[in-house]
Amino acid sequence: MNLIRSEVLKVRTTNVWWLFGLGAMVMLGLALLFNAINADMLINGGKELDGKVSPEQAELLSAQAELVAAYLYTSGQYFGLLFILLLGIIMVTNEFHHQTATVTFLTTPRRTAVVVAKFATASLFAFLLWAITTAINIPVTMAFLSARGADHLLGDRAVVQAILLNLLAYLLWGILGVGFGVLIRSQIAATVIAVVLYLIGTTAAQVLFLLLSQWLDAEWILELQVIVPSIASQLMITGTELPGSPPQWVGAVVLIAYAVLAGLIGVLTLRRRDIA
Amino acid sequence: MSNGQPRPAAHDGRIVVSGLTKQYRNVRAVDELSFTVEPGRVTGFLGPNGAGKTTTLRMLLNLVTPTAGTATFGGHRYVDLPDPIRHVGAVLEASSAHKGRSGRNHLRVICAAAGLPKQRADEVLDLVGLTPAATRKFKGYSLGMRQRLGIATAMLGDPQVLVLDEPANGLDPEGIHWLREFLKGLANQGRTVLVSSHLLSEMQLLADDVVIIAAGKLVRQGPVDRVVGQMSQVARVRVTTPDAEQLAQALQAQNAVVEPQGGGVLLISGVDAPTVGRAALTAGVELHELTTERPDLEQVFLQLTAGKADIR
Repeated sequence: MNLIRSEVLKVRTTNVWWLFGLGAMVMLGLALLFNAINADMLINGGKELDGKVSPEQAELLSAQAELVAAYLYTSGQYFGLLFILLLGIIMVTNEFHHQTATVTFLTTPRRTAVVVAKFATASLFAFLLWAITTAINIPVTMAFLSARGADHLLGDRAVVQAILLNLLAYLLWGILGVGFGVLIRSQIAATVIAVVLYLIGTTAAQVLFLLLSQWLDAEWILELQVIVPSIASQLMITGTELPGSPPQWVGAVVLIAYAVLAGLIGVLTLRRRDIA
Repeated sequence: MSNGQPRPAAHDGRIVVSGLTKQYRNVRAVDELSFTVEPGRVTGFLGPNGAGKTTTLRMLLNLVTPTAGTATFGGHRYVDLPDPIRHVGAVLEASSAHKGRSGRNHLRVICAAAGLPKQRADEVLDLVGLTPAATRKFKGYSLGMRQRLGIATAMLGDPQVLVLDEPANGLDPEGIHWLREFLKGLANQGRTVLVSSHLLSEMQLLADDVVIIAAGKLVRQGPVDRVVGQMSQVARVRVTTPDAEQLAQALQAQNAVVEPQGGGVLLISGVDAPTVGRAALTAGVELHELTTERPDLEQVFLQLTAGKADIR
């Protein structure tokens, strides 16, 4: 507990928490706006069809409504996850960038305990960001949907699941960040690589897998996209992104596997490393 | 915290280094190094650049894993000490704090990790005279202030043992004087103080004992006086005389080594001052100066580490 208090204090006594917090709030605002415009178009589209839908179309529409609501309730996630990933990275790379690793490991020579405390602290901040964004998303979404004459769907199983899986995603990306920071000690390199992988890597991987599957004429290769962490994350939360996508739980398993791997490698590397 | 109270008996504060070795890929940075550091004394840890001082200190503190050998504080390895900063305080590099964090917050982070009350941060800031800069960010600190913050960090746990790597770096003369009195005071309280430095004149003023290493190996260990005294055979006699040539001949007859310096000055080794005086009297040579040049720590150090200070 002492170590977690110390790690929280480390984050709180630098600029990073409010800079990231501010960034996450701005991105949340933009995401809510974007999702609302999207939802508006879908709801209007649904209204035009009103009264003359077949049962199949009705089912499709209700699934679409759930999806729209889930997106709205988890607004800000795309950049929120990135901020949490970066926070995890910075929590580790700061120690080397500012040479505080020496003092940290003098105070706590059991290095595993330090890494575990960092995982816990990153998760704590991940939970906080999830709680804040969700606390904003729920009233805004409910107000928006009822103003548009749509059901708010908050009690809906799929929507509740999306909100909870959103939390799981935040926690796992925090852990991934800490593990990534241990592997790449240079703060600038770790941050840049993470941002590039997160923002561009997803699209690049999608294109790559598409080309591969066409070249080899094999549909199943597309399903392998799930090994890319950000795609696994998307699959886990929405469950409907990939064509012929694997079941939702596969995304969760892949992401958890990455987090566990990051954790193990992080602990083992840092235990053996000479701090000079 | 307790300054006058007796220290825990289980922990006598003696540092024992035994067979410590660190092999890097191409370089044996530290080579079967063994020495002890006694409580109640200031021990200077000396060596040319690259001799392995910093590596040794980092192995002591579990930051660098030794290839072989052990280092213990009162019989315990650093990693086995419960709440180690309550037993051992260390100052390793001046720049080890987050640039954007204030000095006080830097200390509070450590207090939190070690389970120390956060008021302790203000106490040690006061101890090193940094209270006016407590809330200033670390990036605004001068090198001297950074060293003081490092010492404050080491004192947080009121430790029995202090390990300092080049703490005088960046201090002005006043700061060096303060540091000297501070460390001597700690030793007088019965604490163990191990301090590495390359400032030999400063060490002669500060240290009771010295451990001299070169090329990763122990060269000499012991009280400063004795280490310097053991080298008194290298003491030279300096004379000034108008009849330098005549005196040189008389001394060489007694197997003395004479180095003429010009201007009537001779540097004589192998014989002591009374022998030189007697020789001058016998030869009827007039003397204007007769002094014994005792070696200081610096000369001893240079002599002991000569040829071993190469870049490895």
